Amino acid sequence: MNLLERYLQAVARLLPKARRGDIIEELRANLLSQMEDREEQLGRALTEDEQAGILRGHGNPTLVAGRYREPNLGLAFGIQLIGPELFPIYRTVLGMIFGITLAVLSVVIFILARTTHETITLARVLTPLPIQFVVTTVIFILIDRGKNHVLNRWDPRELPAPRREPEEGPTTRNIFGFLCLAVGTAWLALTPRWPYLMLGPGALFLPALALQFWPQWPFFYGAIVALAAAGVVLEFFVLFRWLPRRRARVVELILRGLGLCLGAALLIHGPNYVTSAYRELADWANETFYVSVVVAMAIHAWRMVSELRTLLRDRHQMLPAGQH
Amino acid sequence: MTGMNESPFENLRLELRRGCLVLGVLAQLQQELYGYTLRKALADDGLEIEESTLYPLLRRLELQGLLTSQWREEDKRNKRFYKLSEDGRLVLKQLVEEWRTLDESLERIVREVQV
Repeated sequence: MNLLERYLQAVARLLPKARRGDIIEELRANLLSQMEDREEQLGRALTEDEQAGILRGHGNPTLVAGRYREPNLGLAFGIQLIGPELFPIYRTVLGMIFGITLAVLSVVIFILARTTHETITLARVLTPLPIQFVVTTVIFILIDRGKNHVLNRWDPRELPAPRREPEEGPTTRNIFGFLCLAVGTAWLALTPRWPYLMLGPGALFLPALALQFWPQWPFFYGAIVALAAAGVVLEFFVLFRWLPRRRARVVELILRGLGLCLGAALLIHGPNYVTSAYRELADWANETFYVSVVVAMAIHAWRMVSELRTLLRDRHQMLPAGQH
Repeated sequence: MTGMNESPFENLRLELRRGCLVLGVLAQLQQELYGYTLRKALADDGLEIEESTLYPLLRRLELQGLLTSQWREEDKRNKRFYKLSEDGRLVLKQLVEEWRTLDESLERIVREVQV
């Protein structure tokens, strides 16, 4: 039944997360019944070609998943431009493009405002959005026009093999991620004692630069390292499944929340974290650190929203039917 | 699937079928069935419907409160069984009355059509 699993995986990828598991289980039961029915008629097991035929008859995974999303949604001006099967994908792609653009623009505007004091108009900021909207919409209209031709040319045997479930145990990717985090945290913790780790041979010139750190700097730096170390411990527990996934998410949310508070405190006290005999060097270091804190906070906020959504989704799935 | 390049007949046929399918599904689900057996039952009565149309339709009807469903084991496999809810029963009754009225009217009208 490898083909069936490949097919279900391809459909699942495009389904709303909140209903994915339930829909896939139902599809699996229905398709297995259909295959068994056919086997009974033939009096033998189905060949791979016959299984592929049943799956092809069920429909292209993209279109099938599209039908489970909101019905009757589409883009139309007199005539239908983007049909209900492609509209959810169009909306997601458009959202991603706008999100990435706004995030990049925010960072660029922030840096420009701090470094050049240039007046930035709203029109200038928002100019890329209508262009992206038009280009994306035109591409999807063209895909929709040819979708029957394109989406009917598919073969279940060419779908990607089922992925290993993350619940099965530590994967190479997880272990690598944990090691990177652990090494990064160790590097962060050791750098004040051995600046060579960050600056390399440049560390020899540090005494000549006469750097003076902000008095509260050791406390804040210690807090950053402590949070990173807590993250490493959490990842270790998650890696070996010693902490239930849901509880791990709650702990991660708390850590990220503390990270945001720490970032906010740093921004309030910034940007003069360090002074030096070489003013330009100190300005550069302060600006770089300030921007890094802003970027780190944006990443924390993004991940917090994502974790919160996952937690709410899991809670929704755990509720018995009728309480949703 | 309504594309611009499909024939007017095909578009109209699909439109005509769409409403009828809901009526067929609601009527069939007076007895409890799961997706695949429902499809077979409809096909046995001459109403063929694609799986990828039927299964999402069941979800939507359930969301509208016209169907209820529950997971139950049958033949060593968990299956999602659907049946008409109380609201669904009421709506089905109204739809059947509407269908009969429409059918009688259309029958009178199309009788005079020269094919």
